[in-house]
Amino acid sequence: MRIVKLKKENLFPFLEVISKEADLWAPVKKYEDKHVFKAVEDFSEIDLDYQRTIIPPRRILLPPKTNMFEATQNTYKEDFSNVSKKIIFGIHACDVNALVIMDRFYNFAYDDPYYTRARENTLILGYSCWPDEHCLCKSTNTHIVTEGYDLFFSKLDTHYLVWIGSSQGDDLIRKQPSLFNEDISDKDIQTYLNWQKEREDAFQAEIDFIDMPDLIELKYNDPLWEELGKACLACGSCTNVCPTCNCYNVYDKPILGKNASKIVRCWDACTLENYSEVAGGENFRENRADRLKLWYTHKLQAYISKYGKPACVGCGRCIVSCPVDINVLTVGKTLSGEKVDAFWKRFNLQVKKEVRK
Amino acid sequence: MENSKLKIGIYELTGCAGDALLILDCEKELIDIFNAADIQSFVMAKSDNIEGDLDIALVEGSVTTEKEIEELKDIRQRSKIVVAIGLCATVGGIQARFLDPKEWNERFKKVYGNIEMTHTKPVQSKPIDAYIDVDFYLPGCPIGKEQFLIFFTRILKGNPPEKSQNPVCVTCKYNENDCLLKKGILCLGPLTEDGCGAICINHNLPCAGCWGPLKTGNRTSEYYLLKEKGFDVEHIKKKMANYSGTKIASFLKELEKEKK
Amino acid sequence: MKTISVEHLCRVEGNGGISATIDGKKVTEVKFNIYEGPRLIEQLTIGRTPEEDVSLAPRICAICTLSHKNAVLRAIEKALSVKVPKKTILMRELMHMGEIIESHSLHIFLLALPDYLGYPNAIAMAAKYDLEVKIGLEMKNFGNHIMKTISGRYIHGENPVIGGFGKFPDKKDLLWIKSRAQQFMPFVLKTVSLFCELDYPEIPEDETLYACCDPGNGKFGFWGEKILLSNGESIPADDYKKLTNEFVVSHSYAKHSLYKGKPYSVGALARINNLGERLDGEAGRKFKKYFNEHWKKNPLYHNAAQALEILYCFERIPVLVKKILKDENTPKIIPYSVKEGKGTGLVEAPRGLLIHHYEIKNGLVSNVDIITPTAQNAEDIERYCYIATQKLLDEGQEEKIRDRMDLVVRAFDPCISCSAHSAQVRQGKTDEWKSKLETILTHEEPAFLGIGNFRQGDDAVGIFIGKQLRDAGQKNVWLESSTNEMESFWKSNAGKPVIFLDAIDFQEKPGTVTFLPLLYALNNSSLVHKFSPFVTGPLKYNQLKKSYILGIQPASLKRGKTISPCVKKATREVLETLKSRQKKNRHFKDKE
Ligand code: SF4
Ligand code: SF4
Ligand code: SF4
Ligand code: SF4
Repeated sequence: MRIVKLKKENLFPFLEVISKEADLWAPVKKYEDKHVFKAVEDFSEIDLDYQRTIIPPRRILLPPKTNMFEATQNTYKEDFSNVSKKIIFGIHACDVNALVIMDRFYNFAYDDPYYTRARENTLILGYSCWPDEHCLCKSTNTHIVTEGYDLFFSKLDTHYLVWIGSSQGDDLIRKQPSLFNEDISDKDIQTYLNWQKEREDAFQAEIDFIDMPDLIELKYNDPLWEELGKACLACGSCTNVCPTCNCYNVYDKPILGKNASKIVRCWDACTLENYSEVAGGENFRENRADRLKLWYTHKLQAYISKYGKPACVGCGRCIVSCPVDINVLTVGKTLSGEKVDAFWKRFNLQVKKEVRK
Repeated sequence: MENSKLKIGIYELTGCAGDALLILDCEKELIDIFNAADIQSFVMAKSDNIEGDLDIALVEGSVTTEKEIEELKDIRQRSKIVVAIGLCATVGGIQARFLDPKEWNERFKKVYGNIEMTHTKPVQSKPIDAYIDVDFYLPGCPIGKEQFLIFFTRILKGNPPEKSQNPVCVTCKYNENDCLLKKGILCLGPLTEDGCGAICINHNLPCAGCWGPLKTGNRTSEYYLLKEKGFDVEHIKKKMANYSGTKIASFLKELEKEKK
Repeated sequence: MKTISVEHLCRVEGNGGISATIDGKKVTEVKFNIYEGPRLIEQLTIGRTPEEDVSLAPRICAICTLSHKNAVLRAIEKALSVKVPKKTILMRELMHMGEIIESHSLHIFLLALPDYLGYPNAIAMAAKYDLEVKIGLEMKNFGNHIMKTISGRYIHGENPVIGGFGKFPDKKDLLWIKSRAQQFMPFVLKTVSLFCELDYPEIPEDETLYACCDPGNGKFGFWGEKILLSNGESIPADDYKKLTNEFVVSHSYAKHSLYKGKPYSVGALARINNLGERLDGEAGRKFKKYFNEHWKKNPLYHNAAQALEILYCFERIPVLVKKILKDENTPKIIPYSVKEGKGTGLVEAPRGLLIHHYEIKNGLVSNVDIITPTAQNAEDIERYCYIATQKLLDEGQEEKIRDRMDLVVRAFDPCISCSAHSAQVRQGKTDEWKSKLETILTHEEPAFLGIGNFRQGDDAVGIFIGKQLRDAGQKNVWLESSTNEMESFWKSNAGKPVIFLDAIDFQEKPGTVTFLPLLYALNNSSLVHKFSPFVTGPLKYNQLKKSYILGIQPASLKRGKTISPCVKKATREVLETLKSRQKKNRHFKDKE
């Protein structure tokens, strides 16, 4: 692995050079305190001082709704219009690690051409970050990157240290080597190490993932799931914002005036009540409870048993998204016997109280 | 060819005519729509209407007069498939909110005095499924163009339309909006049927629920959540009721009981 | 006499119809029917927060949803003292233009034009008039596009809120609107010449009073703080009730309006009549070229007026966009804290003056009054249809009545569904007056007033019947004799329905009896009768609306002659009918 140095003022010139042949996606501010990845032309829009985008970058590779192909009775034409050369710049360590999990998923049983083709055409330029109170990635060991990136930028005072993670990354540097500096001094290395140490100490949220598979096994019939199910709004947000969720649904969209249909693929979420058979009533507790159990079993048990690490990269998105505070932190902590302060807890207490009355 | 086209009727009961207008708003597709189907009756758009047997009847509006009850029953009898389009037809619309017939009577008197209507007697607003069987529902106040076109094309081609039951939150997240509910704003997204494209939240405004209530929505939880966030309970109830017509009556009654 | 509350809301576009009843050579009744049921929307918004109201109230109507939005916002912002910045006002104007373009083009091209070209609908018309249909559809689409860009969607967009907008549109979207408006100009000019040069039939021309908002500053526009009438009067927004005095008519769930007891018109034609002089640019030139006497009295020119307004909007849009883009740092929403107040918002919806009035207490809406354009036009729609029908009858062109009424109703653009399917002609039996008189007497206890001159032949007939009625024991019968008696008549019968008994010249066979709403007799210039000045004076609008005239066609009005035999015969018939009714009533009372 090679490391080079880039002066801060050389960043935009570098982006200028590399964005000639590819669309550059980078974080931009959408709300006062919230960012999204956007294809940028005007670099002044880029805001690298961000925490986490609302939706993870998998959205760039597989948008929420894509047209897969157009079919008539005996023909079909694939639509790869989302496949184009892309560079995602400014992506944090958790999200880089999440893409590694996605890569594995979409190549697992069979190759998903819509994902893999888009992925093959995309370069990942990571960027260092600083944790807030919701970042869990130290617990999931995804706060650092070891694979899955082409370049990774660590921000120091006056310049970036740039890790080169692939030969394509190297090619990017070679487009204008004069922007970079190969000699990295001992002082640079020391600054970086200091920074890294401070960062490690800055993490506030923590859970122990090692015991999760066992805990889930043991607590499979725990009233906890019922409680979660009672409070869950089945809004699907936790699933849609999670960078390692990947379910989708396929439906056809017939074309008016033609004997043909478009086949559309769109994100699906296991937390939604989409196919509930029960009509009319208000009580869907069991369903919601079962769905959440499935979700957490997948994230915290099945994946760990198989790959030795959770299917959670600790990005904290479910924590900032779920309106009723059901998230990997409050669920994980409850599973390990800790007390948590969350709406779903308070709600269940209140409902119990009212029933008693 | 002419004979193989499905016979369609588009009807309006009491509403704002927004759903029929939305069909006319498909300017680019309008000619295709008229070509693909045999539009037998569409009072808003044409004057040579034929009232006979139909394959599909699209009915907009809530039932608000005795004459409309008769009309609706007649439409049902003549049609193989009846589709309720728009909030007024699916849940009764904003006008169906008076759950108590007494209250409705009082309000009616306030507006119209004691005058006796000579043409037809008014009744309290109800969705069309209060009087006839409905095969499909296409919600929205008014219905969405994209949703309508997919639905219409599917039904023309004989594919049963998808019964989507997602909340607005799903599309809201597709559009990468920041969650307003999480920020403490009264957003009804989780309780409302998806289909509008989460337009309000795209404009930084909370969902008011105009696609009608999601059958499976967890109203109890959101009710307590909003209460905890400091909203007045009467205000929450009114908000939830505004676009729910007669469909969440049992939930509202439960809440009343709880209060006592 | 009951009190009719004006606290209400009327819904008009949708299911409606018009019918005229003909009795021999006379039209005895014209009804603009609204079949849709009551939605009580004003009642629904009471007790809601102003924000909820802003979302609910526009659902009255899909076609002018943004006019309602603008009206409710103007009223509530006034009530709560919210001062919105200039950019917000400009954006609201832009979205309003979108609605005007959308609504007008839908109406003139797709709904009205097929009539003039002889097709049942626009799609059928497309086969031969491809370009016209295309212009119409594209224009409508453009209007919709503006509405969506600014308000959030085609219909019931929620982006406009109290104090501003949830979100401002992107600059590039606004620029697209601007350039599209400019590119479209040649088609707009074509539209104007097409509709201003159409051959509009002269029946049913008649004078009326036009009302619209006065945008102030000598400008043309779609809202203001005052109502301007074509007679020069001006009414401040808060006094709007002076104009609209709404009342319920039993054949419709919409309420009707009269100004000083007379119908008036609102809409594009009213605006062009009252404000046309203020148009400048191309619209001003076209106004000078086309405006003439017919525009002042022929409702069919609504179509031409709408075309002119489309041109005004297309010229105004680029200016608006430029101004909007200049103001960069405007806050999106102006917060407010006031919790009490009253306000009236006046807006010109595509089909005319729209009034929203709100009272807010403790942060909740406590009183609402919404008056829609079609409610105001309803009376004039009936009146013009009446005139058209009567004139066509007089000219022996009965077969044209249905279509002509259709044309008149549609010209007012009252609502899409009525405009496409409305007319119904009923042929009344010659003695239909009997059953009508009977129905009225079952429901009401009217006063009778005999009018006439004893020394003038058949003109004595009113007094004659009155006297005989009195003798037969009928209560509350009065005779036109001395001024004193008239004064006490009005005093003791204020608000009550009155049946006027008189000889009236309807150009019928002598002795023919006619029974018709007084309103028709008063407002149809061909029927103006000598008694109208004294009748219009003391009569209140709701009394006028309930009153009828029972007229007998005289044979001769020569001085000194006595009543002619055929008129006498008719008199006997009238008396018998009234007497038999009396008996029934007595019988009824006995039972009780
Ligand atoms: S489970 Fe939550 S914290 Fe973990 S990756 Fe998914 S969204 Fe991020
Ligand atoms: S857990 Fe939370 S975010 Fe997920 S579906 Fe339930 S309420 Fe929505
Ligand atoms: S803003 Fe509203 S619609 Fe969007 S995710 Fe939050 S609750 Fe759902
Ligand atoms: S977000 Fe909610 S209120 Fe807004 S349009 Fe959609 S369903 Fe209606």
